[in-house]
Amino acid sequence: MIRFLARRFGLALGTLLALSFLMYGVLNIAMDPLDDLRSSPSLNREALMEARIRQLGLDRPWWERWWQWLLDVFRGDFGEAWRSGQHVNDMLVGAIQTSVQLVFSATLIAVLVGVTVGLVSALRQYTAFDYTITFVAFVMYALPVFWFAVLLKQFGAIGVNDYLNNPVVNWPALLIVSVISGLFWAGALGGNTRRKLIVFGVAFAVTIGILAYALLSGWVENPRLGFVGVAVLGIAAAVGMTAVFAGMQNKRALYSALATAVVGVVLYMPMQYFFYYVPMSDLLALGLLVVAIIVGAAVGWAFGGPDRGVSIRGAVVVAIVQAAAIFADRVLQGWQLYVNASVIGGRPIATIGSQTPNLGGDYWITQLDKATHLVLPTIALVVISFATYTRYQRGAMLEVLNQDYIRTARAKGLPERVVIVRHALRNALMPLASVVPIDIITMIGGAVLTETIFSWAGMGRMFVNALMLSEIDPVMIYIMITGALAMIANLAADFLYAIIDPRIRVNA
Amino acid sequence: MSNQDPRLDPRLGAAPDDAVTDDLSAEEHGRGEGVGEAKEVEGLSQGQLVWRRFIRHKGAMFGLGVLIAVMLLSTLTMGIGPIPGLWHVQNFNSPGDVLNGGTPTLQIPGLFGGTTFAIGEHPFGQNNIGQDMFALVMKGVQTSLFVMFCLSAIALLVGVTVGALAGYYRGVLDQVLMRITDLVITLPVIVLGAVLGKLVGILPIRFNATPEQTLAINNNMPLILSVALGLVLWTSLARLVRSEFLGLREREFVDAARVAGASDWRIITKHMLPNAVGVIIVNTTLLMSSAVTLEAALSYLNFGIRPPSVSLGYLITENQGAFATRPWLFWWPGLFIVLLALAANFIGDGLRDAFDPRMRKIPSARQMRLATHQLPADQGVPTAAAGATAASEKSGASETDGPTKEER
Amino acid sequence: MSTSAEQAGAAGGGRGGFGSAVKLSRSTGGEVAKGDTILDVTDLCVNFWVNDEWFVAADHVDYTLHAGEVLAIVGESGSGKTQSSMSLIGLLPPNGRATGSAKLKGVELVGMSQSRMREVRGNEISVIFQEPMTALNPVYTVGFQIVETLRTHFLMAPTAAKERALELMRLVEIPDPESSFYKFPHQLSGGQRQRIMIAQALACDPKLLIADEPTTALDVTVQAEILKLMRELRERVNAGIILITHDMGVVADMADTIIVMKDGRVVEHGTSDQIFHHPQHPYTQALLAAVPHLGTASDDVTGHPATLVARDDVPVPARDGDPNVTPALLLDDVEITYPKQGRRPAFTAARHINLRVDPGEVVGLVGESGSGKTTIGRASVALLPISGGRLSVAGVDLSGATRADLKNFRRQVGIVFQDPGSSLNPRLPVGESIGEPLLLHEGLKGAEISKRVEGLLDSVELPRSMRNRYPHELSGGQRQRIGIARALALNPKLLIADEPTSALDVSVQARVLDLFRDLQTEHGFACLFISHDLAVVEQVSSQIAVMHMGSLVEVGPTEDIVQRPQHLYTQRLLSAVPVPDPDQQRERRELRDSIIEQEHIVS
Repeated sequence: MIRFLARRFGLALGTLLALSFLMYGVLNIAMDPLDDLRSSPSLNREALMEARIRQLGLDRPWWERWWQWLLDVFRGDFGEAWRSGQHVNDMLVGAIQTSVQLVFSATLIAVLVGVTVGLVSALRQYTAFDYTITFVAFVMYALPVFWFAVLLKQFGAIGVNDYLNNPVVNWPALLIVSVISGLFWAGALGGNTRRKLIVFGVAFAVTIGILAYALLSGWVENPRLGFVGVAVLGIAAAVGMTAVFAGMQNKRALYSALATAVVGVVLYMPMQYFFYYVPMSDLLALGLLVVAIIVGAAVGWAFGGPDRGVSIRGAVVVAIVQAAAIFADRVLQGWQLYVNASVIGGRPIATIGSQTPNLGGDYWITQLDKATHLVLPTIALVVISFATYTRYQRGAMLEVLNQDYIRTARAKGLPERVVIVRHALRNALMPLASVVPIDIITMIGGAVLTETIFSWAGMGRMFVNALMLSEIDPVMIYIMITGALAMIANLAADFLYAIIDPRIRVNA
Repeated sequence: MSNQDPRLDPRLGAAPDDAVTDDLSAEEHGRGEGVGEAKEVEGLSQGQLVWRRFIRHKGAMFGLGVLIAVMLLSTLTMGIGPIPGLWHVQNFNSPGDVLNGGTPTLQIPGLFGGTTFAIGEHPFGQNNIGQDMFALVMKGVQTSLFVMFCLSAIALLVGVTVGALAGYYRGVLDQVLMRITDLVITLPVIVLGAVLGKLVGILPIRFNATPEQTLAINNNMPLILSVALGLVLWTSLARLVRSEFLGLREREFVDAARVAGASDWRIITKHMLPNAVGVIIVNTTLLMSSAVTLEAALSYLNFGIRPPSVSLGYLITENQGAFATRPWLFWWPGLFIVLLALAANFIGDGLRDAFDPRMRKIPSARQMRLATHQLPADQGVPTAAAGATAASEKSGASETDGPTKEER
Repeated sequence: MSTSAEQAGAAGGGRGGFGSAVKLSRSTGGEVAKGDTILDVTDLCVNFWVNDEWFVAADHVDYTLHAGEVLAIVGESGSGKTQSSMSLIGLLPPNGRATGSAKLKGVELVGMSQSRMREVRGNEISVIFQEPMTALNPVYTVGFQIVETLRTHFLMAPTAAKERALELMRLVEIPDPESSFYKFPHQLSGGQRQRIMIAQALACDPKLLIADEPTTALDVTVQAEILKLMRELRERVNAGIILITHDMGVVADMADTIIVMKDGRVVEHGTSDQIFHHPQHPYTQALLAAVPHLGTASDDVTGHPATLVARDDVPVPARDGDPNVTPALLLDDVEITYPKQGRRPAFTAARHINLRVDPGEVVGLVGESGSGKTTIGRASVALLPISGGRLSVAGVDLSGATRADLKNFRRQVGIVFQDPGSSLNPRLPVGESIGEPLLLHEGLKGAEISKRVEGLLDSVELPRSMRNRYPHELSGGQRQRIGIARALALNPKLLIADEPTSALDVSVQARVLDLFRDLQTEHGFACLFISHDLAVVEQVSSQIAVMHMGSLVEVGPTEDIVQRPQHLYTQRLLSAVPVPDPDQQRERRELRDSIIEQEHIVS
């Protein structure tokens, strides 16, 4: 397997090199660095052109310049954007992080939501729910992202911000949202008419209750989770995880998940003191997450029993949920401060840039600021990929459900939950490994648009601007980094495949 | 269970009346597993079968309807080529007087406060220099349609050729072609598209074109751009055709043709391509949908269609700043992009179902409940719903659960 | 909370102790004693809702099954034998409905609630499916899949369940159960996978075992072993067994009572003896007559056997023939290697092959899957290159042939493929498929080609109007006739028939074989008849060559091979073929057991 991966790695490097050569050639034709001078009325036009040709080395053949560029890149010098004189290395520093953050968070959400919806859609094949999801997926696929992004800006950001400034509850909208929620859950959970009606009723009531409470109590103007929120989230996660992945009759799994939730709730107050006294950083946050996972695993292990693995898995997921909830709660505690800051001016949902300049504030405020900026571009990107994942996952799941071993599993008398989760899901998720890398490439492409629309100082925008201005160096670096990301995603997929599929992992 | 086309499965085939009946059972029809299929396929070619399944697909019919309606609307109003259309504004780029702040005169009862149905002078409104939005949007639709078909045709040609050659000859040729495909697939289409769009835009300078030539180039921008983008979008099709060919290559009828003395060319064109046509058509329609959004996105980034040509993406770019004040400038071009892409998607989905024999129509739980009342009279109302279980309700498991493979 | 149960489970090693594990699933109708009625089926109907109409898959089926009894449900494809059994455990497709009554120890199964049915499945009624490769989940170890069944129906600790699973794996004679427990399905052979399926089915001591074509996907020698295992098991477990099969040989080997089904109806129901020796219904009679019966087609032989046998490292030499006759096919020390592809290493599929087919002669080539018999067939029509030796057809040497030679060569040969579903181009009317060789080799066009195609359709006894039909409109037998017509279009000197009847139902197979014999007599072509089925080969060929793992092991006249095989492998192969006669089959079984014992001594 190591040899296989090494070969793939070598191939990827070769492809990248070939790509750089070809793209340099194409860009050499596509870019006209002299365009502004050609129509220039100034008298020394010829001399200016001469000077620029010398400056950019345009008198040399392009492959020579490519070779020079390649050598420079290996030395770590990525060239400069000659019009502004800015060094590409400097431009990259913030841009890479911004773009990767955007693509990563969007991919994560798209995979989670898209795959789940696709699975449920497959399980409810040929129902109104399935048809609706199919229709919605198609609409999302057909939406031009830049058009959708402008709508988001208008209705998402400006609408929410306006509401925050002048809260008037829109009851018809509330009612419609609740009905949709009721229909969604009734369709997703399925069953006979009576069960559907009950599910609809409960989902409708819960949705309208939560929304009404949030709007009327002023929660929206000052959102927070608090002690109660963390507790409710934890218990819900514990019950949900157990119901889906272990089965409610597995008491040990249920108890270990619940115990983990309780640990999270108990730690809520001490953590507030901890946050108060210890200055936070990304590294520390990561460390705390690791601690939470270890605690969860330990709880699961302690409850153990014959199926220790199931208990541990459930407890770890609950621990992550609890850690995230406590973290989010602390971030939200800065909401008032953030909204009322002079640079924000009571309009927290940002439509421009990846962070507010001159904001100041501690770690928590910065996190909040990042989040408010990420919201819209992420939604825009998720919408592109959501359709791909739902359609794909629906197809994969239907394919697997047709397999003989699913019939065998049913013939063994396994509960339907086990047939779906253990036998179908595991097999239906495997092909995902080859879809995600392709989608990441699409996402990077989508980021070019979103970054332009939301004026993020990311890689995509750098590419568009540099291409417009005929600056070859930033464009080349963008192409190289994008290509490398695609290669890495593909290699990771190969590796993942080799790990999760026993037919590849274990040589017969 | 066998993966092969159930329609090719011997036991599902009909034994037409005039034929020699091999099966001891063939004198009696309408009983036993699979007779339903037999009934359906009698006397129809594969193409007719696909067509029948296609026109029964509601989504596909909806998509086809929308596509045809949009094509008719744009052609009737703005004409086609040199033939003028019926709309009163034919010179879509000419500015005019801004009437009533440019608000749309289109009124539909119940929508946007409309009371009667009226089209008016400028149904989609006017922009700030008084150009008629309806004429612009319709012209943009024409551009988008043109790009959609042209781009897909180029991508189709390249993709099928590359895929067919790689899949048929395998070996070194396959390796080389697939590495090239990898190379193209590495970059997002929009990035490659932007570079090519920039390249296309600079052509007049590269060729030291005279002003007339420049105008000619700019007027044919949609065509040139389609060709350039077609050279980017072929990769997925090439991969699919290749894998389809790798599979077909192992089918026995290909061997039979080779033994019969058929040349490679004949095998590829006469025996393999017609059998890969399902995959090709389905993916071409999906390609058409991507083509529309890709062109719009590139025009939005200013690497696409430029004046004097008009495209929907370009109209959105032009007017996105005006969203707060004149939203109609923004709404209509976007809506038509969505309509076109959506229609192509639905048609593609319908074709996929029609070509995929595994997508046999299985009745929904509701249909089954209704059907239960029609069970043959002597069996009365069934005491059991043996299949209507959580198990089968949730599954497409049904499809192949029919008769099991009993050969050998 | 479950400690006591866990301990009980852990302690329960043997069957008695296992019985004391706490059962999660309720038992249906109490304990079973030998001879009790287990299953009582009355008026069972299965219908399918297709295109807004009900179609009958099984019509008023009645039978009873006792403990320790094997009931065989026999029928050709589409007779409803599988669906009527699947309806017992509620595993019909969503468009299927069952009505009537099926009582398991007095408890009604038809219309049982889903949750109750889950307690029955795998626990009281378990199923052995046909295709063990696809019926086991590829991502879980076989051990886990057995344990899973156990722990669904019993409150058991994993260790106890593993103990029980290992015990089951020993019961079904899996070699080295401890390490096989952790293997994935793809690491086991087909026979071993089927053993795992059986172990899984037996896990909860079911009252009823449904075996749906349990040996159809297996080679004949493996089939014999699985049948032996099942016969031994039926003595040890006190369950009723429903055996669904189309193979009369398997039925003769196993069944006590037999139901013959046709188009969803039971046409005959009786004991094994009644059905085989005194069939009443014409369909049963026709069915039995259609089954090829090994050892009946050849005369008794005396004198010294004329077979050539491979010994140790010496391959079978070429048969001496008349030096004045140019053999239709001559293989001289042929080796065929599949080249290395990607990470898959090169693989030699056949080596040191010496074979001669004289003009007008039919030679049968017999072997199990993977023996290389199809490879030889494909190489003989130049679909595969040979990597060593010489291969010539009607005097035309294939080794080092140019393109032009190849075209000339291909006039001399025709091939009939195994799968009638895939051997005709679905997009061409069958007339065009038949006419293709004529078009390409003789340049015929229009009316001329029509005339020839019509003549060919006549000779394979199909109506001329059929030339405009598409393959999917024809039945399997008709398609295979078209395949034969195409192969004979150029009047070849040699015909390669690669398992031409193995995808067909027996009655269809009988008629296609008849046609084949008539055509052979009429046209006088030489033929290499490749098949896994010795009984079929015996019917059509005068010489038989037996292949095993890429080499020929024995070549000789049909009578000699069938009646006094010399090579050990040939003997084993012959003894493994079940014959459709219960009494004869009993004798053969004993013979086989002695051969297997002998082999053990040798090795």
